[in-house]
Amino acid sequence: MEKSLVIKPEKCTGCRTCELICSFKHTQETNPMRSRISVFCFEKVGFSTPIVCQQCSKPACMEICPVNAISKSEETGAMIVDDIKCIKCKMCTVACPFGATIYDPVLDVVAKCDLCYGDPQCVKYCPSKAITYQAADEAHILRRKSFAEKFRGFYEEVNK
Amino acid sequence: MKMIIDGRGIYGIPGETILEAAKRAGISIPTLCHHPAFPGQGRCRLCLVEVNRKGVKRVVASCTYPLLEEGEEGEEMEVKTSTPEIEEIRKDIVMLLYKQAPASKLMQDLFRQYRCAENSLRENSGEKCILCNLCARACEEMGTGAISLVMRGTEKRLATPFDEASPDCIGCGACAAICPTGAIEMKDDKESQKRHIWHQHFDLVPCARCGELFATKKQLDFIARREGKSYETSYYCEACRKKHTAKTIADFRRRRE
Ligand code: SF4
Ligand code: SF4
Ligand code: FES
Repeated sequence: MEKSLVIKPEKCTGCRTCELICSFKHTQETNPMRSRISVFCFEKVGFSTPIVCQQCSKPACMEICPVNAISKSEETGAMIVDDIKCIKCKMCTVACPFGATIYDPVLDVVAKCDLCYGDPQCVKYCPSKAITYQAADEAHILRRKSFAEKFRGFYEEVNK
Repeated sequence: MKMIIDGRGIYGIPGETILEAAKRAGISIPTLCHHPAFPGQGRCRLCLVEVNRKGVKRVVASCTYPLLEEGEEGEEMEVKTSTPEIEEIRKDIVMLLYKQAPASKLMQDLFRQYRCAENSLRENSGEKCILCNLCARACEEMGTGAISLVMRGTEKRLATPFDEASPDCIGCGACAAICPTGAIEMKDDKESQKRHIWHQHFDLVPCARCGELFATKKQLDFIARREGKSYETSYYCEACRKKHTAKTIADFRRRRE
């Protein structure tokens, strides 16, 4: 069964370890600017959470790509960018509603979460286990669905 | 099919080109008009190789020459990517392309690298375009089709229809990004918040949060039209879109508590 990144904001301490390890894994450099996962802290309300690609079932990045350089990995379900085929038009970075697809000017590639090909480093290194990589069972899927529905309603409301 | 490239035996997959088979085996062949997204244009001819089949030698463009189905009389194809003759032809091609686009850094470098000699052929002075057509292919694939090769012979060039601002162009800059010689001028002017490309001044959209100019208005309209939805949050840049999502989650949690 396909696994996905499950984020529990209530566990996130805002330490940014995930950003560092993600950047290191993909660019051999610990530079949060080049990480595929980003942590946001709202000190006043005592809330922090990582934001990362949702590996959508209807991915905007994949749909907009003019040359089909983005495809869904059969093993992990992650949207993978074929760097060689990519023409660097950056349309996917504009199309992603979550801003999860970015352009890395140093490597001249489009950077997005690839689930580390099945071994996500953020999950491994997060000291407070705020990110887990798990297969969803039926009950879990239903719970997530109802959460997503409510969240969507809220999202649309605040974006009016 | 079994084949020999530069003395190395490799298996070519029927249907792929010599160039692809060679790349897979780690043998590099110089190219200019080839891009993995738009293979086999066969325009620049820099990828020429020598093919020997049944004792008949031919020079072919490796980016378009397809490998055959298996088992054609157990025939083995031999390919040489570099012979004195091939190098001589490549040198001429580089020289001619340099004359076509002497202002291009890439052609200047290749001209030196191939030790081409200066001659009296007229130079297309100031030109950077080598007519590889990759920009037009990118634009076509984008679904905009705003530019194409126009005119013939020595007049041939890439342009918008009638060299005027094209209503089809969305100012995405895909053409400028793919151009191997940097021949397409694109300039973002922060002051006036405009992008200049192909005889047009496109409105750049500032991120509603941080003000960064991250896309043209027509690009956002294009994406919205493609996806058949309205695009409020797309008026944020990537970084702010992420932040916005985090903020919404924070607000959502608080409301539920
Ligand atoms: S930047 Fe690359 S991956 Fe993204 S839409 Fe353009 S071609 Fe596709
Ligand atoms: S900028 Fe205009 S001409 Fe260039 S690829 Fe985009 S739509 Fe086509
Ligand atoms: S790369 Fe083959 S003709 Fe240009």
